[in-house]
Amino acid sequence: MKNQWIEFLYGRVTVRVSGKGLERFLNVLTRNGLHIWHVKRHGTETITFKMRVQDALKIRRFARKSECKISFLQRSGAPFLLKRLLKNSGFMLGAAAFLFIILLLSNMIWGIEIKGAKPATEYQIRKELDKMGVKIGKVQFLVANVEGIQRQLTNNIGALTWVGVELKGTTYHLQVVEKNEPKKPEQSSPQNLIAKKKAIIVKMFVESGQKVVDIHDHVEKGQLLVSGAFGQEDHPELTAAKGEVWGETWYKSHVELPLVTKFNVYNGKEEQKHSLLLGKLEIPIWGFGKPAFKHYETEKNVHKIRFLNWDLPISYVNKTIREREVYERSYSNSEAEKMAVELAKKQIKSSLDEDAMIKDEKILHKAMENGKVILDIHFKIIENIAVGQPISKETPDDREINNH
Amino acid sequence: MAKKWGQRVRNWMANKMDLPQDVMMDLPRITMIGHIHIYVENHRGLLSFTDKELRLLLKQGQLLIKGKGFVIKTILPEEILLQGKIDQVIYLNEDAGGTK
Repeated sequence: MKNQWIEFLYGRVTVRVSGKGLERFLNVLTRNGLHIWHVKRHGTETITFKMRVQDALKIRRFARKSECKISFLQRSGAPFLLKRLLKNSGFMLGAAAFLFIILLLSNMIWGIEIKGAKPATEYQIRKELDKMGVKIGKVQFLVANVEGIQRQLTNNIGALTWVGVELKGTTYHLQVVEKNEPKKPEQSSPQNLIAKKKAIIVKMFVESGQKVVDIHDHVEKGQLLVSGAFGQEDHPELTAAKGEVWGETWYKSHVELPLVTKFNVYNGKEEQKHSLLLGKLEIPIWGFGKPAFKHYETEKNVHKIRFLNWDLPISYVNKTIREREVYERSYSNSEAEKMAVELAKKQIKSSLDEDAMIKDEKILHKAMENGKVILDIHFKIIENIAVGQPISKETPDDREINNH
Repeated sequence: MAKKWGQRVRNWMANKMDLPQDVMMDLPRITMIGHIHIYVENHRGLLSFTDKELRLLLKQGQLLIKGKGFVIKTILPEEILLQGKIDQVIYLNEDAGGTK
């Protein structure tokens, strides 16, 4: 038996032959190597059979010699199917467009939900997102990835402590934690103010409570500054001592700064490459060839393409190749010293409260070793040294006595 | 006479050497599957075909197949596959008085 599928691929024709000497005609056809199958008789003078399309072209030659009339009834098989498909290509086009539109819509941003933010912050976030291009109706893979959005938001909006960005389907969920400047809890329970550091008191501002020390006093760490207990010695009235006690404190810091430093910096030149990732196979779309840079770093962003609910095994990959340059910074000795002092100041400031200020600095020790400037600096700083310490109700008297 | 002799030698060889008869003697090989299919190899052409009857030319004589609803599934120069309800397969031998 012949393979019907081959015939299907080539296309087949149903032929009707009528006349006399049909059998002879069939014999002629078979002897000349034409494939015939499904021969059926209809009445005395008609038969139908099927044959290949290529053979159907030759049949006329044989038919002329015989006394038969031939007509072609039906055509089937792949070529004719294809022809029909082409004729109805509108449907195909429609189906393709439909799939494409669904694909596009599946990869759009359809919602941005912000949770945990005050209206003002939310507005700010939305504005920032707009600036980034994260808007409803944008295509997801033309927008920075989730980490990037997260980074940019936390960097650009001061009121945010942390923002968690999550992409669920077509919606961005933003979980926001605001920098709630923790309001100093209204201390209503009795407390004393004590020194958190060794200092000389410069300025005092007491809201409530009884001053125990005075300006220009030298206090040790943990020493009572403002007492929350006043009144009679035996039955003191307890309140929450409140106030600010500014003291001069001392810090020592040690900094080392190399004279020559090498930095890896980007010089702003970059190339973009786009490709499609099919499984593991990467097909470049735009940006061919090796990058023209000698030193470079590649940032790769992979965006999964989604279809309705599913992730397709196709991803859109966007590569940014940035040129890197080595930049050498060198200081002279005096410059280095200045920079080192600045550095030390910055370090100190970061460890202090915001309202503290540096009154004076003094270089204690200066050395130049292995191409480094080594400085020991002494800082005089004025800061609020008062911290609350609750008075336990059982033994208020003990504490009073101890502290005196 | 020479043809007869040749026939005889072939027949003898087929017998003695255990060769299949159809190869040696150009006989048709007929395979039937129940009464729905009949497969004839080594025929010499189609003589007549209706939906109740098929007549094939053989090297010697003819083969007549009778039945109902015949359809030739495949026809090649020396092979034919017939489908239908087969009632009879009859040999018409020229030697035994020609066609009846």
